[in-house]
Amino acid sequence: MVVVPPSAHHHDTPGSPTLEIRNITKTYPGGTQALRGVTLSLRPGVVHGLVGANGAGKSTLIKIIAGAERPTTGELRWLGTSTDWRRPADAQSAGVAVVHQQSPVVPALSVLENVYLGNEATGLWRPQDRIAEFAALCARVAFVIDPHTIVAELSVGDRQMVSILRALAQNPALILLDEPTASISPAERAGVLGAARSLAASGVAVVFVSHFLNEIMQICDEVSVLRDGQLVDEFDAAGMSVERMVSGIVGNRLHAVEAFKPAHAIGEVVLDVRGLRSTSMGSVVDLEVRRGEIVGIAGLLGSGRTSLLKAIFGADRRVSGEVIVNGESISASPERAVAGGVAFVPEDRLSQGLIADWEIWRNTALADSRELSRRFGLIDIAKERALATRAQNDLGIVAPSIDAAVKDLSGGNAQKVVFAKWIYKTHHVLLLDEPTAGVDVAGKADLIKLIRDLAARGIGVLVVLSEFEELLSLVDRVVVLRHGAIEAEFRADDVSVAELTASVGGLA
Amino acid sequence: MINQKPGHDDVAVLSIASRLRSAATSLRPQRAGVVYALTLLVVILVITTAVVGQPAYLSSTNISNILGQLAPDAILAVFMTVVLISGNFDLSVASVAALAAATALETIDTLGPVPAILLALAVGAVVGFANAILVQKVGVNAFIVTLGAMTAVRGVVLIVLNGESVTAKSRSLVNIDSLVLSVPFWVGALAGIGLLALAFVRFRQARRASALPLDGFFVALIIAGVLVLVVSFVAPELLTQPLPVWLMVFVTLAASLGLRFLVPGRKLYAVGSNPEAARLSGINVNLYKMAPFVLSGIAAAAVGLIYAGRFNSVDPNALTGTELTVIAAAILGGTSLFGGAGYVGKSVLGTVVLFTLSNGFNMLNLGSNYQYVVQGVVLIAASAVYTVASRSRRRQKVADLAPATVVTSAKETE
Repeated sequence: MVVVPPSAHHHDTPGSPTLEIRNITKTYPGGTQALRGVTLSLRPGVVHGLVGANGAGKSTLIKIIAGAERPTTGELRWLGTSTDWRRPADAQSAGVAVVHQQSPVVPALSVLENVYLGNEATGLWRPQDRIAEFAALCARVAFVIDPHTIVAELSVGDRQMVSILRALAQNPALILLDEPTASISPAERAGVLGAARSLAASGVAVVFVSHFLNEIMQICDEVSVLRDGQLVDEFDAAGMSVERMVSGIVGNRLHAVEAFKPAHAIGEVVLDVRGLRSTSMGSVVDLEVRRGEIVGIAGLLGSGRTSLLKAIFGADRRVSGEVIVNGESISASPERAVAGGVAFVPEDRLSQGLIADWEIWRNTALADSRELSRRFGLIDIAKERALATRAQNDLGIVAPSIDAAVKDLSGGNAQKVVFAKWIYKTHHVLLLDEPTAGVDVAGKADLIKLIRDLAARGIGVLVVLSEFEELLSLVDRVVVLRHGAIEAEFRADDVSVAELTASVGGLA
Repeated sequence: MINQKPGHDDVAVLSIASRLRSAATSLRPQRAGVVYALTLLVVILVITTAVVGQPAYLSSTNISNILGQLAPDAILAVFMTVVLISGNFDLSVASVAALAAATALETIDTLGPVPAILLALAVGAVVGFANAILVQKVGVNAFIVTLGAMTAVRGVVLIVLNGESVTAKSRSLVNIDSLVLSVPFWVGALAGIGLLALAFVRFRQARRASALPLDGFFVALIIAGVLVLVVSFVAPELLTQPLPVWLMVFVTLAASLGLRFLVPGRKLYAVGSNPEAARLSGINVNLYKMAPFVLSGIAAAAVGLIYAGRFNSVDPNALTGTELTVIAAAILGGTSLFGGAGYVGKSVLGTVVLFTLSNGFNMLNLGSNYQYVVQGVVLIAASAVYTVASRSRRRQKVADLAPATVVTSAKETE
């Protein structure tokens, strides 16, 4: 799908605003001000980008627009009249539709049934009556799909399109896309982005929230930057640049760390993967990582990136091959891998990396019970808490205290807790699966610095990253994975993002 | 910016008020509901029995009576809680207990007491291990596996007993069951003082900002200390109890301390909360999912032996339905059916609530017909309180969360 650049969409008469947000503040019980006087105007036919770091007040603003929270002071004006939505259903019936990062769909039902779920119009469900209507919806977002496909069989990206269709079926005047592309592969993002543009072209007011600034650049007509609950910058397509957004988001914070790649020493081989294949891998892999070296794995979703990391860590059943860490062969079990000095930071922090309900200090102690306990397996709580406090200081984990539950932390801070679980005991190999996914710009910079520091300490790092620009700025060497096999290898300095993208897609 | 330690900069020493506030969270209904339920129940029964003119409800005789009755179920509740924490379920305990009792009584006259007891415990371990393999290695749902085991093992009991009850000639089991042990009152007094001293030590420790906030354990220490002191001075005759009661006390203490202070205990909670995260942290998930079944099987066998000793005989339908009482007790104690949360001490209190109810009904001659209705209602009401209270707490949490947001912003603007 071709994404039409925003410049082609300039409206001579933008029309009267669909939703006006006038000097909104939000103070939570307990005194925290999440929003401090935000004024915004969302107009039909315009894609309005909303960016800001985690904790900037973005989520609160989204909730207010969606009717899930009420502002403390200020006014919402819907189509010119003052309004007071008390629950999401109020906003929905007024004409606001919301698509979340992972909008719930019912996997067992068909696409058509999902799109009209709760909106069946009559008690009798007659799919044939809705087909024409469905086709019209699809046409509006230029999406082609068989309405009778069962949703369980769809990719994450297609499911996201189903969510968008579902939102669209309510015939909204305003559609709120809350990080709609965060969990789908780059290849599928174009469809979602195109849908956002098509929606605006059909006269809907679109709010687009994303951490991906390139996407904002690509499709937004105007952008608002939130920081500390305030609107710190607003600009239209003409005034838009990634630099301007980044400096708005992070304030005066240095963000150059990402681009600066320090020279560091690379030592002997610390991870030697020989003829490795697990039950979930399509092919045999050989790979070496040296001490101090950061090796990237580039590949499309489904190319076997995660499977490779899991096979090395012993989390999947091994079919053949050997993993040698620091000269010692490690049998295939996470326990042995951890004992051998290997750490794994999985893709999904809250479901695989942490115990969401537990406090920071019990999570940071999760992987290191031997070092942190006394004789007879007696837990040393003082030691565990000291470690968590140290991690909080070393990694800059922003939390009220080490007794905070990790599920209450922002993405970047939760990820730092996952790192903290490992870095004080891992001496050899660090396996990272999308370590910066869903992390805001500031948190990303911290994590990248942390990964570099760990490599500088002599740890061999193997990292999967879907953002190739970020990947190339981080790694020394990158291997390309296609269908589970290593198809190419580059020195990071010798390859461009375009070349890497081509190689990953099998074009070079 | 990296060295900033939010929240603690201005409070090096926590105030007494804030320390007590953190301790008080463990007194909220969703955390300590079972304690309130028990207190309420006892107060009601004490008043009613007095009004009706029955013998004093809180007499040592009656308390000893209740303790003796509930000890086997309380032991089962402890291990049921362990299984529930690991994220599983064991419906087979009552059948296993009956099988162990039958095994011991059938063999004790020929093999002698020690081999018969070991054989019975081994039978429990084998059934537990079979459950563990089927659940963890084969991957069948624990509810289904143990429901099947419950039925099949009961069938084995019927086969072994040929449908009739069995009585042993040997009196060994009876002697063990009725063995009475006395703790001198000064030992009780010292234990009570020791518990209170421990509570005081924790209170002192909690002054440091880096220390663990005061929690339910602190409150439990105080309550237990006071109770033990009161018993030692007011009713020292309660310190004389038969072996099963002491076994219950020992098992409860060992399990709750082990779960709290030993690494395997922590790992068990981790595995129950999030098996995948535990596995990817290098914890042997198979071990922590399987061991509770084996322990539960052995404990069930031990309870079967107690039962066999009580009557020196067992009939094929012995203990039927006990597994449900035990699970109900664990739920009354606030144990999560989804794994990763629960306390054995509270499950034992749950057992006490259930037995106090039935004891009270008997004392007031209300008839056992009403008893089940009330037990069922109490169970559902308890779960409702836990659910509603934790929901409103979650709402409160959202508000509490807000300070973290401010800190985040403050950090970014530095």
